[in-house]
Amino acid sequence: MTFNLIPVLPELLVAAAALALLMLGVFRKGDSTRDATVLAIFAMGAALVTLAGAAGGGRQELFNGLFVLDGFAAFAKGMVLVASAFTLAMSLDYLKREKIGRFEYPVLVLFATLGMMMMISAGDFLSLYLGLETQSLSLYVLAAYHRDNQRATEAGLKYFVLGALASGMLLYGVSLVYGFAGTTSFDALAKLFSAHGAPSLGVVAGLVFVLAGLAFKISAVPFHMWTPDVYEGAPTPVTAFFAVAPKIAALTLLMRVLMGPFGELTHQWSQIVTLISIASMAVGSFAAISQTNIKRLMAYSSIGHVGFALVGLAPGSDLGVQGVLVYLAIYLFMNVGAFAVILSMRQKGRMVEGIADLAGLSKTSPGMAFVMAVLMFSMAGIPPMAGFWGKFYVFMAAVKAGMWTLAILGVLASVVSAFYYLRIIKVMYFDEPVEAFDRGIDRPMRLVMAVSTLVVLLFSFVPGPLLTSAKVAAAALFPAG
Amino acid sequence: MFEIGLAQYLTVAAILFTLGVFGIFLNRKNVIIIMMSIELILLAVNLNLVAFSSFLNDLVGQVFAMFILTVAAAEAAIGLAIVVVFFRNRGTIAVEEISQLKG
Amino acid sequence: MITALIFYMFAAILVASGVMVISARNPVHSVLFLILCFFNAAGLFLLLGAEFLAMVLVVVYVGAVAVLFLFVVMMLDINVAELRAGFLQYLPTGALIGVILLAELLAMFGGWAFAPDVEAIVQHQIPAVGHVTNTEALGRLLYTDYAYLFQASGVLLLIAMVGTILLTLRRREGVRKQKVADQIARTGRNSVEIRKVPTGGGI
Repeated sequence: MTFNLIPVLPELLVAAAALALLMLGVFRKGDSTRDATVLAIFAMGAALVTLAGAAGGGRQELFNGLFVLDGFAAFAKGMVLVASAFTLAMSLDYLKREKIGRFEYPVLVLFATLGMMMMISAGDFLSLYLGLETQSLSLYVLAAYHRDNQRATEAGLKYFVLGALASGMLLYGVSLVYGFAGTTSFDALAKLFSAHGAPSLGVVAGLVFVLAGLAFKISAVPFHMWTPDVYEGAPTPVTAFFAVAPKIAALTLLMRVLMGPFGELTHQWSQIVTLISIASMAVGSFAAISQTNIKRLMAYSSIGHVGFALVGLAPGSDLGVQGVLVYLAIYLFMNVGAFAVILSMRQKGRMVEGIADLAGLSKTSPGMAFVMAVLMFSMAGIPPMAGFWGKFYVFMAAVKAGMWTLAILGVLASVVSAFYYLRIIKVMYFDEPVEAFDRGIDRPMRLVMAVSTLVVLLFSFVPGPLLTSAKVAAAALFPAG
Repeated sequence: MFEIGLAQYLTVAAILFTLGVFGIFLNRKNVIIIMMSIELILLAVNLNLVAFSSFLNDLVGQVFAMFILTVAAAEAAIGLAIVVVFFRNRGTIAVEEISQLKG
Repeated sequence: MITALIFYMFAAILVASGVMVISARNPVHSVLFLILCFFNAAGLFLLLGAEFLAMVLVVVYVGAVAVLFLFVVMMLDINVAELRAGFLQYLPTGALIGVILLAELLAMFGGWAFAPDVEAIVQHQIPAVGHVTNTEALGRLLYTDYAYLFQASGVLLLIAMVGTILLTLRRREGVRKQKVADQIARTGRNSVEIRKVPTGGGI
């Protein structure tokens, strides 16, 4: 029996890089955090290139359908790799400055990325579960990575307990689905449900448990309680990582599960997704208003963004999936850029996290203030920034499907959330400066800021590439119409 | 009553699952018991899977259960490591004492 | 008849010790009841014909995971009384939620139905007894069709190892450890000093 391993080449590369860097760190004398991090970024770049090479030519299945590489998976994996590489680049100087650099950090990020890639490519609940756990276990450790810090270990503990509970719920749901259908393969399940229409009560209950488990992983309301604590407690580069890559991976996974095996049960899950979406948008918008810590604010902001993304998922149409993918791609750049600014907030060599610390930034460091302003305008969804288009596409999908209430509530939530994004801009531009931030932002950070600002600014003028690739990717989930 | 079918096994698993969820509710302060409750939940899932596997005459359920056992062992190891570092920093394992980070 | 009795015995002890796990006053007792749980669940697995999993549950779970729990519980100095606070306060709400959840699950299981043509869907049938053992059948599946996941679980265990070492290993200064190489390399020349002591002068 021969295998064509080309489709898994990106995963193999990431795994091999993680193992090699682990050995490098163990056998080399002295601290190799920096070298390992740089090499890890290169490995992700290489994986991206091989992914581009491997992805062509439609849907490819491997290992009896456990692993699927199609346009959708390739698009999502590309986003995850870019996000992970960016956040690693941002952590380079932070780890050194805070003296918590250990070579295991890039290794764990690589392993987490591997897990995300595996879950995006899952074609079966078994591979979904193992990919999800590969990612989660790495993330639990990363959350508690700063082990001498009380808040970080507490964040890790909370994240672990709730994450393990969510996995348990997900598994119970999967066991019920398996018990009904006798298979865990996505394709077989889709075939079964399309042949027999209305499923039994057990399957619906299983679906609810699966949704609850996955809603935790994307931190949607009502499973969001951990998010602000973990975002605040974890070291900032880890927070930046948490906010982007795992979220993209889990959301794409959710889309694949809902459109694939449960594609025929849209009636059953559409309402639940709608409710989760509305609740997430509301919590994300209202709870963020009273925050004073910028990392907590970003946590609520990310809850809100998940709500907006779910608006596109609720109709269960290919237009919606395309909208969500565009939304996620834009979300990636906005968040990475914002965290680059947050990571540059240092006064006299100490990190600060208060929103008030941003006061008068436009006078002390106009460049950083401009970047932050552009990103905040974009997150608020104000044209012509990219964030507006992200929201536009998901709301359009909801409207096309006749879900007017959802779309209108979404627009309202986005108006409310604009309030706190604009407040940050007001603090930066109209408040008196308190204390200037330290000079000397390191080069990778400048690069990340520049790239994300450019993407956010220019998307309106050249939307073509992203829109087309998202369309191709979304089409992969809907075979033959 | 004396005919042991699928329903009996599923009932036992459902009771175990409920006990696990209930245990998390009840012992909100004690992380160790919470972790044991999670083990109970996973045991319930395994029982479900093995019962279905047996009555469906399909091995996949048992393979699934085996992977769950593997992952749960790894998860327990990491969880306990986090509990140990938490204890070193705080001197207690009470989770609700989380005034540091307000929920 | 006998199978039924054995089933009810295992099931009853399993549920009873499950109750004790979450309600015992002392965490050490909780762990011990958890071990009892695992043993009885293994018994149920045996009744269902999953011999290999039953053995794994006893060997891996009781032998490693539960002992790890026990180790941590005993290592940490836990204030039991403090942790029990609020136990009774949550009891009514928790019990209510638990009962509702259980009732719903049981109602659902009462009329459990398989998919209409489930025999056709099942991909990997359990081989007939006496033909191939359960362990061999699982092994054949695990190393062929599920080789990808087998590798993935290897990565997962590696992550667990790296993670626990990263979190808990500390190199303390001033801890005396035996260094075998240094001991062997020691010779008379670099460990014994010969001095001439003048009479009545001291050193």
